[in-house]
Amino acid sequence: MSNDNPRRGIERSFICDDAIRPVVRDGRPGYLIRVRLMSYRSLPLSCIEAIQLSLDGAPVAPERITFVLNGHGHKLSELGQLSRLWWFILDTADLFVASEAPLAPGEHAVEGTLVTVEPYVTGGRFSFYYPSTKRLGVAMEA
Amino acid sequence: MTHTQPFKVGVTLHSFTSDYISFRLSFEDMLEIAGRLGGGVEIVGPSHHRGFPEVSDEFERTFKSGVERYGLTPTAYGSYADPFMLPDRNLTADELFEYTVPQLKGAAKLGFPVVRLQYFAAVAAERLIPLAEKLNLQLGYELHAPLMIEAPETQELLAQITRLGSDRLGLIPDTSIFSRSVSQHHIDRARESGIPEEWIQRALGLWGERKYNEEQAVAILSAEGADRKMQSVLGSFWGTCGFSEPAALADIAPHIVHFHGKFYSIVNGDEPDLRYAEVVKTLLDIGYTGWLSSEYEGGPTDTFAVVQAHQAMVKRYISEHQGS
Repeated sequence: MSNDNPRRGIERSFICDDAIRPVVRDGRPGYLIRVRLMSYRSLPLSCIEAIQLSLDGAPVAPERITFVLNGHGHKLSELGQLSRLWWFILDTADLFVASEAPLAPGEHAVEGTLVTVEPYVTGGRFSFYYPSTKRLGVAMEA
Repeated sequence: MTHTQPFKVGVTLHSFTSDYISFRLSFEDMLEIAGRLGGGVEIVGPSHHRGFPEVSDEFERTFKSGVERYGLTPTAYGSYADPFMLPDRNLTADELFEYTVPQLKGAAKLGFPVVRLQYFAAVAAERLIPLAEKLNLQLGYELHAPLMIEAPETQELLAQITRLGSDRLGLIPDTSIFSRSVSQHHIDRARESGIPEEWIQRALGLWGERKYNEEQAVAILSAEGADRKMQSVLGSFWGTCGFSEPAALADIAPHIVHFHGKFYSIVNGDEPDLRYAEVVKTLLDIGYTGWLSSEYEGGPTDTFAVVQAHQAMVKRYISEHQGS
């Protein structure tokens, strides 16, 4: 590599630029939204305090969201217990949103907030909020 | 005073974080760059390899082949204590020990001579020393703001180091504790987060009195009407910028196993907010011959160029002091 030819890289935000992907996961229809960790380091999933998501202005109930990392799905309510499962800093994850109704084609307003703890800050368990808003298209069904 | 061999200047890959996490630089790219920035390389465990807190055989091979290819010297491995990783309780001393053991083994496997410990690892340190001996590692508590040399927490660490009496356990001072002023980087961040200018100025005035810790400063700001967000953002001035005297390094000289050259910006060849001239002078006077890692923590920029500028500044101070 060379410093006078910098690679373009990616813009970092919790919600990635990838299109929303309609899928059937474990027999349930829904769609996947790609997300990214916003720290500078890998974190165990127990450091995820909350994931908030809304689509076209309507909040998505947390029970409808499955956090999918390396192909394995976890309920948001279970993340606090998963201190031995690590989200590597360079890896994306997916939010699977269970939905009977298919998404309308075209762009959708996706708003998401990741709340994580940096588990060593001198003052104690300290939460960081990473809000992110994207307009994302819908990918062809695989 | 003459100085035959000054300390060595390398880099922590943490300096390249903004490029690394946005895929402009790969891990291997950063090793190549480290080869052009003094050759001494420090890494951050949970940032730079998968499988943390373990080090895989695959990463060992990747790292060592990079070390060989680019002629690097592994200097320090950044371990983490992460005592607050569970939502309902803090890790126990046993759990902190168990969490740190694979990190020490991983650091040794990669060829690092020094492991950075966080303050919270202190409850496990006594049990880690025999392992450090076995693995031929030196452990060092990082003295990063707010752990100024005079801070009670630092004095407790020093008392423990003295009590345990092992040269396997020492300190890694970070230049964040030798601030001349609150870094422009943190002031900019406070402005970006919407804190009113009058509150920023009030906090800077309080910081300038150089007599409060974060808790005391936040209590004063709170009593004057600062809301929770102001308390959090402005309190970080004390959490990230310390005001120890560089000359106080002499008091801890025998315990320094590594050094973090934290910086936020280089303006006209100098770090305007950190007392580098005095820090470098003291390091030379106390005969420190280990590594200083350039550790850039400012905003997105050409990270290679800014580290190069930082190292040029440190070397200029070395030669100025040696010539005096």
